[in-house]
Amino acid sequence: MGKGIATINYAECMACGCCVQACPFSFLDLMKTDVDVYHKNYPQLVPDHKCTGCGLCATACPVDCVTIQ
Amino acid sequence: MLGYTGKILNVNLTSGEIKEEVIPDRVYEMLLSGVGLGAYVLYKRIPAGADPLGTDNVLGFVSGLLTGTGSVITGRWMVVCRSPLTGGWGDSNCGGTFSPAIKQCGYDGIFFSGISKEPVYLYVDNRGAELRPAAHVWGMDAVEAEQALEKENWKRKKPSIAVIGTAAEKISLISGICNDGGRIAARSGGGAVMGSKRLKAVVLAGTKSITCHDPEKMKEISKELAVKIRKQNMPGFVPGSILAFGGSMLGGMKRAAPMDGILVGMLMKRWGTPMNNLMGATSGDSPLKNWGGSVVDYNKSYYKNIDADRIIKRETKKYHCYSCILGCGGVCDIKDIANGEFSHTHKPEYETCAAFGGLLMNKDLNSIFYINELLNRAGMDSISAGGTVAFAIECYENGILTPEMTGGLELTWGNAPAIIALIKKMIAREGIGDLLADGVKVAAAKLGIPSSEYAVHAGGQEPGMHDSRMDPVLGVHFSADPTPGRHTIGSGQYYDIMHLWEQVSWAPVSGSYLKADEFIPSEKVALKTVANSCYKEVADGSGGCLFAMTLGINHWKLFDWLNAATGWNKSGDEYMEIGKRIQTLRQMFAVKHGVDPRSFRMSKRMAGEPPLTEGLLKGNSVRIDEMMELHWKMYGWDEKTGLPLPETISQLHLDEITQGAA
Repeated sequence: MGKGIATINYAECMACGCCVQACPFSFLDLMKTDVDVYHKNYPQLVPDHKCTGCGLCATACPVDCVTIQ
Repeated sequence: MLGYTGKILNVNLTSGEIKEEVIPDRVYEMLLSGVGLGAYVLYKRIPAGADPLGTDNVLGFVSGLLTGTGSVITGRWMVVCRSPLTGGWGDSNCGGTFSPAIKQCGYDGIFFSGISKEPVYLYVDNRGAELRPAAHVWGMDAVEAEQALEKENWKRKKPSIAVIGTAAEKISLISGICNDGGRIAARSGGGAVMGSKRLKAVVLAGTKSITCHDPEKMKEISKELAVKIRKQNMPGFVPGSILAFGGSMLGGMKRAAPMDGILVGMLMKRWGTPMNNLMGATSGDSPLKNWGGSVVDYNKSYYKNIDADRIIKRETKKYHCYSCILGCGGVCDIKDIANGEFSHTHKPEYETCAAFGGLLMNKDLNSIFYINELLNRAGMDSISAGGTVAFAIECYENGILTPEMTGGLELTWGNAPAIIALIKKMIAREGIGDLLADGVKVAAAKLGIPSSEYAVHAGGQEPGMHDSRMDPVLGVHFSADPTPGRHTIGSGQYYDIMHLWEQVSWAPVSGSYLKADEFIPSEKVALKTVANSCYKEVADGSGGCLFAMTLGINHWKLFDWLNAATGWNKSGDEYMEIGKRIQTLRQMFAVKHGVDPRSFRMSKRMAGEPPLTEGLLKGNSVRIDEMMELHWKMYGWDEKTGLPLPETISQLHLDEITQGAA
């Protein structure tokens, strides 16, 4: 994985939570957004996260919408 | 790198011994993981006739083969045990995040035997597993206990926790196992088994990667489905009341035909399972007034109150189980209900709305929200609890239960305050609640023969909220499955939208057909019931969700994912053979423990004996005995007794893999 932190492409994200479960530090969580008409909880880095850019979340994403940037 | 870990963890609660066990690859090839792995372990390990609440019963938590491999809607975990409710095979499945957590600890399943002297919980992370004292959370409800255990065990990664509530601590035979603050593996009485072992919770905090054979292919299939689901959005101006109209149309149609299951995605995303609240009432799908009434009784003035729009109006956020791209769940604000006792509840499922709505002639939606939270916290199955309250009301109506026996509760149809009070008594096993806390079969046995007419069940399990007099295929699954009374095994409607015939050579093609034909026992209908149940077992071995199954095999490509995850190259027919093997092993388990499969036949009322005299289902009865025989015959089981035939056991190689069973 490259340097950076977990970045979500919300146009592709399905809010399935695979990235959240994959994060070994629980730095990602599903939180309410205005991304779609249903105001679903989408993954976001939590406040004060210390994302290392390990990329486990990106590997776990079934639709490849998580990248390390 | 085959999708599964190849290992299980065995915990003896009597001795405290914890041991890993390697499972041969051949077991996975023959039975998958999940429920198949569970059936393999339990068949071999539990001695015939072992007390379901004793030391010899084994309680297993299993993950699906596909969980965490890059597939979607495959994040279900399952609990397996000898059921104290039916005496036979017990399983129940649930969403949330517990299924991937099992695999992230390095296991496909965790199995408990023995009984602990004191309440304990199991903690597992990458370094290993240990039993820890749980006296401080014993007595807490499932939500409180989960929060307490999360707080004390959240070091780096938030743990996933399966936990019992107070109903299971009190060994209610209709109790389940909870997770994620309101999800519950409710059926089969698995909670009572966990309570009997004094195991309060399983806390998982592993962070191991889940690997598979071809991750790129897995994602390619997932993306294809995601594109389709993303497009499924119900326009906001469409009201929920349209579902009542849709139900009337469906119920009134003489013919049925296959539909594109992808449309289910649209309804699920908008409303979740309450989409069926009105549709079920008006189509004849929802059993009403303890299976004795019709929509003439539970008419519009009643059912309009449980409109799905009224439910999602309270929804403050959507809820997805792990890996789900539909997201049928939600969290609802209920601060204004019951004097602010609870702030929120997981959105009540259709099953709960129907069990505490039409089944009880109840039109008070607020009471359903409140009961939903009471039951989620206690860890009691809302289907069985609703069915048991309906039984109690009818017993009261007919003088079998008296005001003295009910502690002054007036158990009349639709009396929401009395229903709430009764549920509280059942949870606490207080007064009349103690009699009712083990479901209708046990209660009827205690009250005597006259009450048995009102005890609606199949093999001791209260049925799901779908009427077999509307869909006789459902009746076969209620009656002829090793887990009786289950609405999730299959139905004629499921069959029509699953499109199995596109990948399974022997599955009958569903063209346009007369619904009345489904009421005539035939080998064609029996092939449908066999296909439904084989496919369900494959899904349960994979961690798949019922609502994904109903999207259709042409969209939710289960067999393709299994091949990509494992590197196998099996056809649809070969996977269905695995499903048949799992199903046959579940039946062998029930028979081993003394169950007579004929005794699982659904109650007369469910079969329309006598038929209803009004409403959409007027005059309908199901020739269930003949249909059960044909179902068993097509499975290669004895058609008269339901016992798997020796040649079938041998052909499926079950004699080989069950060698050396206890």
